[in-house]
Amino acid sequence: MDAVVPPQMHTPIGDPVTERAPVAYETLEAVFEDIRSHPLYDHELHGCLNCGICTATCPSAHYYDYSPREIVQLLWTENLEGIHDAMQEKIWACAQCYTCAARCPFQNSPGGLVMILREVAIKHGMQSAKDALKPFTRVLMKVISTGNQLAPNMITGDAFPDWGPNVSKVDAPLKLLRKAIPMPTLHTLDTAWEVNLKTSIELYTIWEETGVLQQLEAVDPNLYDVILDVMDEKRSEYQDWLDEQAGG
Amino acid sequence: MAQADQGGHYTGFGPEWQPAPLAPEQARRATDWVEARIDRRALLVNKDQVEDVRERMWQLEKDGEIIVHRIGERHEPVTARTLYGWEKRIPTNFLWHHKSCGQCGNIPGYPTSLLWLMNQLGTRYIDETDQTSCTAWNYHGSGIGNVVSLAAVFLRNFHQAYVSAQAQGIPAGTYYPLVHCGTSFGNYKEMRSFLMHSPQLREQVRKILAKLGRLVDGKLLIPEEVVHYSEWLHVMRERVAERRVIDCSKLRVTVHPACHVYKMVPEDVIYDDTVMDGNRVAVTTGVMQSLGAQVIDYSTWYDCCGFGFRHIIGEREFTRSFAIDRKIRVAVEEARADVMIGHDTGCITTLDKNQWIGRAVDKVYELPVMADCQFAALACGAHPYKLAQLHWHASPFEGLLEKLGIDWQKAKAEFESYLQEVAAGRVETLYDPKRAITSGPGFVALPAGDGA
Repeated sequence: MDAVVPPQMHTPIGDPVTERAPVAYETLEAVFEDIRSHPLYDHELHGCLNCGICTATCPSAHYYDYSPREIVQLLWTENLEGIHDAMQEKIWACAQCYTCAARCPFQNSPGGLVMILREVAIKHGMQSAKDALKPFTRVLMKVISTGNQLAPNMITGDAFPDWGPNVSKVDAPLKLLRKAIPMPTLHTLDTAWEVNLKTSIELYTIWEETGVLQQLEAVDPNLYDVILDVMDEKRSEYQDWLDEQAGG
Repeated sequence: MAQADQGGHYTGFGPEWQPAPLAPEQARRATDWVEARIDRRALLVNKDQVEDVRERMWQLEKDGEIIVHRIGERHEPVTARTLYGWEKRIPTNFLWHHKSCGQCGNIPGYPTSLLWLMNQLGTRYIDETDQTSCTAWNYHGSGIGNVVSLAAVFLRNFHQAYVSAQAQGIPAGTYYPLVHCGTSFGNYKEMRSFLMHSPQLREQVRKILAKLGRLVDGKLLIPEEVVHYSEWLHVMRERVAERRVIDCSKLRVTVHPACHVYKMVPEDVIYDDTVMDGNRVAVTTGVMQSLGAQVIDYSTWYDCCGFGFRHIIGEREFTRSFAIDRKIRVAVEEARADVMIGHDTGCITTLDKNQWIGRAVDKVYELPVMADCQFAALACGAHPYKLAQLHWHASPFEGLLEKLGIDWQKAKAEFESYLQEVAAGRVETLYDPKRAITSGPGFVALPAGDGA
């Protein structure tokens, strides 16, 4: 006997494993539309013969339930449920090495597609993005407020206990060790190098003009608020310097 | 038995693959559609089917849309050959150091060794504070950022490289950007390609840079080449080798090439028939061979290091496992390596820092890890602590120094003694610190022409 399709059900999407789609079809469509309309989508996806070269060479496939071939296939076949499902965890497994892209005979970039999926996961405020980015808070704070992604005082024994007992094999205060680096721009603790205040101010304009702050707000509103305060403070500091110069 | 298995056509492709019940005409239309997609980007990766984006760049300049920051005679370029035999001119003088946040924050001996080598060779350069990182480590790790922000950061930094000489009273364009980080290198090349292909992206970035005052004659400034420091070291390798004071011939060296150096925009990567018969990317391997070391190939040469961008921060069990099992263990057991040499920030951090924890699972390996320029500086007589700053490395480099005939205990004592000088304010630097600030707070104008 043929299965009876309830009238409220939409046309089947992809490969549903239950009778009822776990996510509203409109949501799946909206997510996929954001993926498909990404400016790099057509650059990263050209076709797929399922040859599996990408997965065979993928470091993450060794350790995770992750396959770049699957990511490409889901997108190529427009499997909306499968795409949405992959965005809940799998896309965060990719190590972004681009070995897949270098070896794909179609010149697809599964790694590049993963980045599009991550951007869209952030745009839609998916919990997977919030969870994946929790450990990244310090890096995000650093890069958005200073333009550096790492600072010497972030490398501590507490933060990286698995790196061994010594941050430095010469026992001396961090400040002194940094001063002993023969590049004057590296005599810093809070940033990897001394960043010109004017440079940070220019970077804030880039963040504002490119929607990066909105991305941040979608995944971490608290961090967003803190960063806005830092930006205000630094802009004020720079304005004071400009005023001082103008005053002679 | 499923119909798909009867003919064998779909075996191995997974249960979701079923024969399509298409009529011949429908199948033809489907095939035509697929072929049209294939034709846009070639199936085979070879010279005839990959575009040299520089041709598009020169055309855009002819059309008056962009200005190209040229590599001129002052930069004393040396020509190298890339994957398809294309020429790439590598500037060797008057260089603007585009630093790496991971190197400067975590492996400071990496950039100091490079600058020291340049001092030895009489290369002119500027190391200044007006630069951000490329922000691509964050992007690849978190997804925060986008093609417009990355392209704007790229061209802002490269514009600063262009105008930096004016602070020294010499013409704009004198200094040419030299990129230290492998991810910055790959990212910037991608951004250049996207910018060359997309009028929309160019317009978006142009508007932002106009607000920042970062256009040249109202146009975007695009670099003729995006150049990685390892390319500079490669074309200078024989001149570096002339300054070698330490015999490296007994060393078995493994090279870890960085994914973002040679897998992103692969057509731009230097290969050389005299280096591993042209089968391996030439940078780093070439300089190690010129210094007389034995470069040993190994089966996981092409593997990444395990850095993962977000994994090194938030899922380190992956990073640790991959680094130990796929790289360090293979280099030690298969290649019997004395050292692993890299040319990128994340790789060296990953491979260096993640050995100690192996003891927890009886995977005890002790392989020194450092950058090509650090090794080259050591071979040319640089101080292992004061200059190459090896004390920041977690991997055990002391045995390697002994093999090179360097008394590391004496050198360490010298450095500890030097720290007392530093504490007293007597700091030795590789260049005049006044040159590091070219505008804004802290800027001190130098006499005209002082930098040239």
